[in-house]
Amino acid sequence: MAEKAEAGTKPGKAPEEGAEKPLIRIYPEWCKGCGICVAFCPKQVLEMGEDQKAHVAHPERCIRCFLCARRCPDFAIALTDEEGRAVKKEGDDQ
Amino acid sequence: MMAVHLPYEHKYLRHKKKFPHVWCPGCGIGILMGSIIRAIIDLDWKKDDVVVSSGIGCTSRMPVYLDFNTLHTTHGRALAFSTGVKLANPTLKVITVMGDGDALAIGGNHIIHTARRNMDMTAIVVNNNNYGMTGGQFSPTTPEGARTSTTPYGMMEPNFDVCDLMSGAGATFVARGTVYHVMELDRIFKRAMEKKGFSVVEVLSPCPTSFGRANNQADPVDMMESLRDDTVTVKQATKMKQQDLEGKILRGIFRDVDVPEYLDRYEELCQRARERLEMNQ
Repeated sequence: MAEKAEAGTKPGKAPEEGAEKPLIRIYPEWCKGCGICVAFCPKQVLEMGEDQKAHVAHPERCIRCFLCARRCPDFAIALTDEEGRAVKKEGDDQ
Repeated sequence: MMAVHLPYEHKYLRHKKKFPHVWCPGCGIGILMGSIIRAIIDLDWKKDDVVVSSGIGCTSRMPVYLDFNTLHTTHGRALAFSTGVKLANPTLKVITVMGDGDALAIGGNHIIHTARRNMDMTAIVVNNNNYGMTGGQFSPTTPEGARTSTTPYGMMEPNFDVCDLMSGAGATFVARGTVYHVMELDRIFKRAMEKKGFSVVEVLSPCPTSFGRANNQADPVDMMESLRDDTVTVKQATKMKQQDLEGKILRGIFRDVDVPEYLDRYEELCQRARERLEMNQ
C-alpha cells in the first residue's frame, strides 16, 4: 500500500501537467448519491452522474484538500496516495 | 489500471462484512464515524485498547461497523455499561456514542450522573433533532417550532442545550461540533479523547430523511448548508453583535477544567481503607 508520493500530489497543490493519475476514486457500490461531495468540493471536481452516483469529472482540478473523502458519509471516496492525510503508521496494516 | 487504494479509515472498519451501512443517504453519522476513526489514528491508540459502546438508535448502529472492542447495549444505558467496562479495566479507552434521544431522554438520568461522577470516558452525543430510526418523532433536542411526525404544528416545548446541561452536571470537557466542519470535529474529538475526565461532545448531524423532510430540507446538501450558515464558533461570537447572534448555534469548546478523576479517587479511597484496616489489626 505504501507508495512513494508522486510529483505534484502534495496537498493544496494542483498536480503538474501531464501527470496521469486518477487522484480520486469513488466506489459505486458504496455511494448512495447524497451529493454532499459534489456540492462542497471547492473546485467542482465531482459531478453527479445519471445513475445518481458521484463521478470524477475534472480530476485535473483537484487540489487534494481531502474534504470530499472526509465529508463522505459512506466511506466511498478514496484518494490514491496517503499524503496529506493522517500519517500511515508502520504495523498498522491488517 | 492502478490498484484501488482504500481510504485509510477502512482499516478500522468491518468493511468486508457490513458495508454499505444502513444509514440514509446524506446522514451525518457516517461522517462523524470517520472523524472518530481519524482522532483515534491521530492518538495512535491500538484497536484492542479502544471500547466503543452504544445504546439503541441510528447512531447506536455505529459499533456494528467499527472494528474495535464494541458493545451494543440497551436503550439509554450505554453509559452505565461503559462505566462498568472502565471500572473493570481502567486501561481501556472507552468511547460512548449515543443519539440525542438515547442520551437525553431515555438515558437522561445516566448521562447527568456519569458527568457528576467524572470518570475518564468520552461521550459523543449525536444530535439530529429527532428520533430518526423510529419515524422522526420529536426528541428533547427538537428546536422550538420545528415540525416532526409527532409535532405537525411545530414543537411547542423548548429544547435542551446539551452543552449547558453537561457543564452544569459537571463534565470536565464540553464541546460542540458539526459534521459540516469536519476538520474542526477531528480536532475536537482528539482533545475530548485525550482529556482525563468525563468529556462530552455534541455533534450536530443532519437527518434528511425524517427531520429534513418534515422541515422542507429533504436534500442533505441543504441541511449541510444550514449547519454551515447557522453556526458560529465561540471565538467568532465574541466579536459579533448581539442581534447577529440571534438564532445562531455556538460551536467549539465550552468547558475544559481539571477535576480529580473518579478512578484516581477510588484508588485513594482503597488506599485509605487498607491503612485503616492495618491500623485496626
